[in-house]
Amino acid sequence: MAFKRNPQKFPGATKTVVIGTGDRAVTLGGENVMPLYSFDAPIENRPKVGVEISDSGYDKNVPGIAAYYAGAETIADIAKKAAAMPGADFIAISLEGADPNGENKSVDECVELCKAVGEAVDLPIVVLGCKNHDKDAKLFEKISDALQGKNILVMSASEENYKTVSASAGLAYSQKIGAESAVDINLAKQLNVLISQMGVAADNVVMNVGSAAAGYGFEYVASTMDRVKAAALAQNDNMLQNPIVTPVSDDAWSVKESIVSEADFPEWGPTEKRGVAMEITTAAACLASGSNAVILRHPESVAAIAKFIGELM
Amino acid sequence: MGKFVVIGERIHCISPVIREAMATRNPEPILKRAKEQLDAGATYLDLNIGPAERDGEELMKWGVQLLQENFDNVPLALDTANMKAIEAGISVYNRSKGKPIVNSADAGDRIGYIDLAAANEAIVIALCSKAGIPSDNDERMSYCQEMLERGMMNGMEAEDMWFDPLFLVIKGMQEKQVEMLEFIKMLSDMGFNSTGGLSNVSNGMPKHVRPIVDAAMIAMAMQAGLTSAILNPCDQRMMETIKSCDIIKNNYLYADSFLEM
Repeated sequence: MAFKRNPQKFPGATKTVVIGTGDRAVTLGGENVMPLYSFDAPIENRPKVGVEISDSGYDKNVPGIAAYYAGAETIADIAKKAAAMPGADFIAISLEGADPNGENKSVDECVELCKAVGEAVDLPIVVLGCKNHDKDAKLFEKISDALQGKNILVMSASEENYKTVSASAGLAYSQKIGAESAVDINLAKQLNVLISQMGVAADNVVMNVGSAAAGYGFEYVASTMDRVKAAALAQNDNMLQNPIVTPVSDDAWSVKESIVSEADFPEWGPTEKRGVAMEITTAAACLASGSNAVILRHPESVAAIAKFIGELM
Repeated sequence: MGKFVVIGERIHCISPVIREAMATRNPEPILKRAKEQLDAGATYLDLNIGPAERDGEELMKWGVQLLQENFDNVPLALDTANMKAIEAGISVYNRSKGKPIVNSADAGDRIGYIDLAAANEAIVIALCSKAGIPSDNDERMSYCQEMLERGMMNGMEAEDMWFDPLFLVIKGMQEKQVEMLEFIKMLSDMGFNSTGGLSNVSNGMPKHVRPIVDAAMIAMAMQAGLTSAILNPCDQRMMETIKSCDIIKNNYLYADSFLEM
């Protein structure tokens, strides 16, 4: 008997969110199938890959990264190189140096950096905050103002600062905003409700439902994303249909496996190889669980994940 | 399981305001009631034009277009004893937000409504009764089977037949309530969709008591497996109960603001 294809059909679909402008604008989401199930129905907008750069320059301790960015002096140089990375769909600038508990760079300084990136590249720009909610709210407001018309994505609005971020980035400056929750499905939904009650349209909002490096509680991430997709597709829950963008690099490059030296753990092999493996493994797992975009750091990871996506679509 | 489907019952020609609006083709009172019900959380709206023997076809078309044009193609239940009027309504109906519901068939004189629904790819509400009130669940089930067979023979999907167990008034038929709930459970166990006119149970009770009894009944009926009901969505206690039951049954993902959605 011949094999009969029986695709899963769902009443719901994820919403599409466009970031950036012009030819290089990127559309996230829109699928009505389980993650990567392009055999059930075409996935019009393949998952996307963002390249993370930092206000603090590139990581000179990782040889592959140092070699790739060698010679780049300014943030604009770094951004140009990142944009030229094969597989890059957008640039994500992390403002970790703005953290009041760290370098505490001023809002104005960060605005200048983001403007420089905006002038250097034509790829969509995602701004990753410094993880301090108050500072992020201030950063996102000024940066959204300075980059008006660029259709940037600021990540993220949290339970603590969603009102300010929605009102400024979302409403006043018509940028896109990310809604961030930490592996908590009910909060993920609640945050989308609250942001929509602020008046921000759903096609201006993506979700970061949280992540973890592979092996560090990733099963919670996978089950959260599974539940999000099941509600979005099978229950047609319009408060969970926003595309998911997952910053992977920060988690992947801060776990022990990516940091400890080969001298201390000779049986583990070269440090950099482990970090790349961790970044690729985590990103692939996120994509298989439902992320519509991942943000990565190492050129090898970007190339591998771009290939992975390309071959599955 | 999906969310419980609320069919708003308030556009009904038994209301003098609505009857007058239908007679004079005055959109305003109808649109007002439609908006109230949708804001309160109704998914479907019932459009009951009564017997409408004279101008039913034209009236139903007018009503369907009026509601769908003003409320983003809101899905509708077309409710009248005039079959031609239902067909006329479906002929102008936009399905983008859901199939039309034919309200309603039974296993007796109105069995032809099943054929009508089948011919028009509509959902049909199928009352498990023939003439009068079924005496027990065996009788209910035999009507259910008759109607199911009729639908299947006409090529309908079982999921498009929403069986109505017949909610009975408590004042007068108090001893029949548990059996009716057991019938809902039987329907649910067989995987069928179900619906019914819920507020019938509190008919004749004092005004302040009715919402309480209605809310208790909807909770018990949802536990038994009821998937939809025709009711007044502007009854806040009722809607809060339905939303809470949807959460408890895991039909809808919890978020702190779930009552506001």
